[in-house]
Amino acid sequence: MFAYEHGYCVQPRLRPGSSLRAATGLAGVLVLSACASTPPAPTAQLQAAQQAITSAERAEASRHAAGELSAARAKLASANTAVQAEEMVAAGRLADESRVEAELAAARTAFVKARIVNDEMQSSTGTLIDEMQRKTGDAK
Amino acid sequence: MNTIDNSVAVGRTLIAAAVASVLLAGCAAAPAAPEGASEARAKLTQLQSDPNLASRAPAAIKEADAAVRTAEQPEADRSLGDHRVYIADRKVEIATAQAQTRYLEDQRAGITADRAAAQLESRTREVDVAREATADAREENAELQRQIDALQARPTDRGLVLTLGDVLFESGRAELKPGAASNLGQLVAFLAKYPSRTVAIEGHTDSVGGDDYNLGLSQRRADSVRSHLVSRGVDAARITSMGAGESSPVAGNDTAAGRQQNRRVEVIISNPALAAL
Repeated sequence: MFAYEHGYCVQPRLRPGSSLRAATGLAGVLVLSACASTPPAPTAQLQAAQQAITSAERAEASRHAAGELSAARAKLASANTAVQAEEMVAAGRLADESRVEAELAAARTAFVKARIVNDEMQSSTGTLIDEMQRKTGDAK
Repeated sequence: MNTIDNSVAVGRTLIAAAVASVLLAGCAAAPAAPEGASEARAKLTQLQSDPNLASRAPAAIKEADAAVRTAEQPEADRSLGDHRVYIADRKVEIATAQAQTRYLEDQRAGITADRAAAQLESRTREVDVAREATADAREENAELQRQIDALQARPTDRGLVLTLGDVLFESGRAELKPGAASNLGQLVAFLAKYPSRTVAIEGHTDSVGGDDYNLGLSQRRADSVRSHLVSRGVDAARITSMGAGESSPVAGNDTAAGRQQNRRVEVIISNPALAAL
């Protein structure tokens, strides 16, 4: 599927006019990215993960989805470690995993908050009904 | 991998084909979807078939579906497969949480409506109860008025005053006449019906005869009435009796008609607090 998945580098030497040009060119494109000497860090993915974590923190995920939030932080830390080790493919995947984990933390936080609101509404309605029944019950 | 090594050794002609074959092999080699993909699919299917949730997070469910489909592709690279399964699983969880949140939010209108309905019902019931209480009180009052009318008592500041003329006693005597019981029957019935009311019995005379005699006679007559009421079941503690002699005339003593009016026993029935009717 992807060149980097095969762990093997073929450095094609292109010669103008060669009959093999098209074929080797294709292979070269396929493998070139994996064999660059200093692959770029997955900056955008790391930033997206950090942003997702910040947004979950702002929503008080540490209170309502602490497990997911700390998993997201751990994934991001691993991603940064992988960048240091120049394992950019792993870094990119870890960053993506960190981001979805943080998004899950935010989604579960929203769910817990919504449930708290509904529970309060329901219990206050229940209290109201009880009170009213007591009031009218006494009057009878 | 050997294929490539050999190809390089043999000649460039084969390079492209070899690389291509390896790439193809990479796609075809893994026979099954990565481990965990089917669990992610199962969770997604559950979400999609939940009537309360399926339609509530369409964008997130679509995203989760795409991620699960990617995860389900056979993949030789174990770590990539695991990564895709991880992403797919979390996307399904996110979609589920979002749908559940939306569901809760949608329930609020119902909770609010329940609350309003409960308030309305309660107010209606309060009004009904109050109306019943008013009707009850009105009925009580009407009944009391009927009783008072039957008693031929007149309302005064001191209470209901019932004046018993000299029909109760022979001249100069303090014993009730045989027919007096029927005259006092209404009073006994009234006191039985309104047990919180107390009565004060006052005997009065005309000015004929000495003061002391009249005082004594009026006291004995008041006592006679009291005894009669007690004998008919009225609690003695509710009754006081006193003789006023000739001190409180209601008419002139210079005519026979005036003196007859002055010879009387007054029964004063207390006005209780309305609530204690």
